[in-house]
Amino acid sequence: MIDQSAARILHPLEVRIILAFDEGEIIDSQRVKQVLGFREGQEQQAFSWLLAKGVLEEAERRTEVFYELTPLGQEWHEKGIPARRIFSLLKDRGPMSLPEIAQTLGFDQKTVGSAFGSLSKEAVCAIDEARRARLAKNEFPASLSEIESLLALAASSGGSVSEKALSDSQRALMGQIAKKRGAQDSPFRITDRVRVLYRVTPIAKEYRKAISTLGMTGEELGAITPEMLEKGTWKKGHFRPYNVQIPPARVIPGRRNAYVEFLEGVKDKLVSLGFVEFDGNLVETEFWNSDALFMPQFHSARDIHDVYYIEEPTHAKFIEEPYLSNVAAAHENGGNTGSRGWQYQFDRDFTRRLILRSQGTVLSARQLPKAEVPGKYFGIVRCFRYDRVDATHLSDFYQTEGIVLGRNVNLKTLLGFLEMFAVEVAGAKEVKYVPGYFPFTEPSIEVHIKHPVLGWFELGGSGIFRPEVSSSLGVEVPVLAWGIGIDRMALMALGLNDLRDLFCSDLESVRMRRSQYKIQ
Amino acid sequence: MPKIEVNEEFFFQLAGQSWSNYEDLEQDLTIAKAELDEWDRIPSDAGERMIKIELNDTNRPDLWTTAGLARQLRIYRTRNIPSYPFFASKGKSIDAAYRVVVEKSVREVRPWIACFVAKGKPISDALLKDMIQTQEKLAWNYGRKRKGVSIGIYRTGLIEWPVRYFGVEPDSVSFVPLQETRSMTLSQILKEHPKGVEYGSILEGKTIHPLLTDSKGSVLSYPPIINSADIGAVQVDDSEVFIEVTGTDYPSVALSASIMACDFYDIGFEIANVRVDYEYDSPFGSSVIFPYYFQNKVTLSLIEANRLLGDSIDLKKAQDALARMGLGAYCSDGLTLHVTPPEYRNDFLHPVDVAEDIMIGLGIENFAPERPSDFTIGRLTPIEVFSRKAKDIMIGLGYQEMIYNYLGSGIDYAEKMQIPVGQLVKIANPMTENYEYVRNSPIPGLLQTESVSAKASYPHRTFEVGKVAIKDPEENYGVVTRQHIGFLISHAQADYNEIASHVATLMYFLGKNYTVRESADPRFVPGRQVEVFLEKESVGVFGEIHPAVLEAFDVMMPCAVAELDLDSLLIG
Repeated sequence: MIDQSAARILHPLEVRIILAFDEGEIIDSQRVKQVLGFREGQEQQAFSWLLAKGVLEEAERRTEVFYELTPLGQEWHEKGIPARRIFSLLKDRGPMSLPEIAQTLGFDQKTVGSAFGSLSKEAVCAIDEARRARLAKNEFPASLSEIESLLALAASSGGSVSEKALSDSQRALMGQIAKKRGAQDSPFRITDRVRVLYRVTPIAKEYRKAISTLGMTGEELGAITPEMLEKGTWKKGHFRPYNVQIPPARVIPGRRNAYVEFLEGVKDKLVSLGFVEFDGNLVETEFWNSDALFMPQFHSARDIHDVYYIEEPTHAKFIEEPYLSNVAAAHENGGNTGSRGWQYQFDRDFTRRLILRSQGTVLSARQLPKAEVPGKYFGIVRCFRYDRVDATHLSDFYQTEGIVLGRNVNLKTLLGFLEMFAVEVAGAKEVKYVPGYFPFTEPSIEVHIKHPVLGWFELGGSGIFRPEVSSSLGVEVPVLAWGIGIDRMALMALGLNDLRDLFCSDLESVRMRRSQYKIQ
Repeated sequence: MPKIEVNEEFFFQLAGQSWSNYEDLEQDLTIAKAELDEWDRIPSDAGERMIKIELNDTNRPDLWTTAGLARQLRIYRTRNIPSYPFFASKGKSIDAAYRVVVEKSVREVRPWIACFVAKGKPISDALLKDMIQTQEKLAWNYGRKRKGVSIGIYRTGLIEWPVRYFGVEPDSVSFVPLQETRSMTLSQILKEHPKGVEYGSILEGKTIHPLLTDSKGSVLSYPPIINSADIGAVQVDDSEVFIEVTGTDYPSVALSASIMACDFYDIGFEIANVRVDYEYDSPFGSSVIFPYYFQNKVTLSLIEANRLLGDSIDLKKAQDALARMGLGAYCSDGLTLHVTPPEYRNDFLHPVDVAEDIMIGLGIENFAPERPSDFTIGRLTPIEVFSRKAKDIMIGLGYQEMIYNYLGSGIDYAEKMQIPVGQLVKIANPMTENYEYVRNSPIPGLLQTESVSAKASYPHRTFEVGKVAIKDPEENYGVVTRQHIGFLISHAQADYNEIASHVATLMYFLGKNYTVRESADPRFVPGRQVEVFLEKESVGVFGEIHPAVLEAFDVMMPCAVAELDLDSLLIG
């Protein structure tokens, strides 16, 4: 049995067909259009829905010949056939030569020739002594009017006419002017069309019962139109309910990249904690990348296989003073920093070597000479490492780094900041600190957190800049330096487990990606 | 970061403590900045089990050995600072039964040597392996792959004293090196022996090479390359060994010898001193008794330490904390700590290094985190704020934001784009040609997306805001970093007009009046491309991507692209 909920969401076109035809009746496109006045195409929509519901079944397919208006036929219909236009022209202006006619009406010679031929054949036109065409009769020949009525018939029934709709004489005339192939010079193209006949099944009866119980007429209002609102016709009608269970069509919106959004969330969080953002060059010198951070030039981590060197130019023209001299002295013997230094000959040539920055701490170092006290600075910046690219290593990636300057900052405030990052940025429930080692900080601390989803992991490294670093760059107050690793959190937030996917090229994946986690 | 493997039984015995689970061990290792590298506790016999440990402090090579790491854990627990009576120092001479003579000829190539003899106990299999590991870690990580420090261990029974350390021409001497059965000249060793091939570069360009022989001329070793196959091949059950360290950096050489001597002493060996007589002057004098204590006292004011640590630690607490780290600290005025570095450490460059040891000695858990009190105003960079504004407009126009790597291949960045590769910043030491250039435009990334996304439903509208590196010989670095926006449309009707409309919309809402001039950029179709100007400054380009470029990227859909310099737009 068909229940009312199924009937309720029938489309008005379906309702009207169900109400108009009885079980067993054979219907087709033409019949439905005739009886119900559907617009072209509406009946086909209704047929496909009703076939799916079992209200209709296919009874038979017939092939029929149709004559379609070609663009030329359409033009003839709109402007008149060439013979008619020549007739009217001569009637208005009197005798003219054939080339004059062609020029005035914009016809080619062939068109003028054949149209004039057909008029002469009916003795409507003749050539006078001056070799001009003139009208011989004042009446347009009926045989040519027939062509015009065929054009009108086709135009009025949607641009084509069935062979069956024509009289014998019309059919004969059509045989002369229509072509199957190469029809661009003819007003009609001959095509074969399949006509499908449908039989109304007994299911229609069940629907009809439900429809009448519901009081549906098929005249229910569909889409609300501006016209409807203007005229107020909606007031008298009933709105057709839509099937709300149909999945909506997909829309592709303009969107932020989920990874960038995550990074910006971290930036916003750090700004909310009072940090000023910094930024800098992708290409840096060994000086700022490592020397200024008191990493000895002979250090094993400064091997050729740890940073990318620029091929050309190889060296910066200069390093800013007094920082170069200060840093060189800090390395050699401590300079004025209270250190004994690394006790080696600082290489002032090597320090100008250009590289791709390998750590965000470069920017912290560069910030020191211009930093305010008190001051807090951070950056989320692209860094480059000499690493084989795989699921856990990238050749370029983001690092999140920052510094805090203040007369009163110390180990305990450093721990306070780390706790703040752990809770605010990473949503950690538990935090653990252990001694760490970085060449540029002393003391150095690693912070491990218990993340609600990822469990225990190392969130970052930090410390207080060694005086060899801060003092050489003109800062005489303690500087807390920190770096946090947010990539694991980013992967988790985006539901990924391969770092390479953060920089994904595939559009569909990027379009569908969404963040399951946001920095609060 | 060095990683070592320690025999569990041996390690626990030296530490004077057993850990029933590795979680506790890992926790205790934090005071040495060490962590477990592997958690599996197999096989079941502790004598067979090897614990893998990673050491994070590159300034404390004393922790990279089984005995040294165990020592730190032991002292931290017991506060017993061990004494090593065999050290000579500036004011303390000791009679040495053994002697090494260093000749002038070696001065230019590898001038320094430190050494000692360990005896009185048969060397076990586990100890032999551990010795080799210590030798390798010190020479590789601390000694910069043997350049600064290399170590040899020898069977004293075969040595006729005194030992000679001198320089020779590499073709003038031959001996049988380890892992060989034939006699080879030094030159041959460099060419044919695996160790010669590996470390030969250290001696590159030197006409005189270092050599260590005994008084009869039997070769001990060819530092820093290889030992001899007889004197230099220590075996299990040998009970007396000669250990020497050579190198170019004297403090590192002396410290490496000190570390090994303390280790042997902790394991139960007697240490016998060796006198080194130089034919030239050395920072420790021309005649030095090794092991030699050369470190200087470090002075730290308690006020400074408390300022750094944010605490009010009293003298007694500070001394106790330092004792747990193995540091003796003497104080006469109640304020200034005079710290004596232990024999095996030389990592106190600055008083702050002592302050950190106070922190570790007290335990980080005893420092309560404090909320910072300084008020500062947070701010994004102007370019970030401006970029976000541009991004919002692009999203309103229906674009999907993308993000790409900044390194790529010359093929993608130049060849496919029909531009000269010389415009790009090139890496001199690329790992692979896939990451050999720094990008100068976001467009190749956007086209890469098109080349892999033909199945994604059209239209495609993508954009990226990011950095590019542009060569500029006027600049100090020869390169400038700029923030660019690139955006691309791709669908069957994508054309100049559509991208031009989007540029116009973006510029309108960014508040920029621009003009365009027809350009001749090979990346775009001639006659359907322009350069964008703010006043007279060129700030970008847009147009229809040339089909030759599309073909190179294997893209079968028309694309139009714009690229604008946001740094210029921000200021302009």
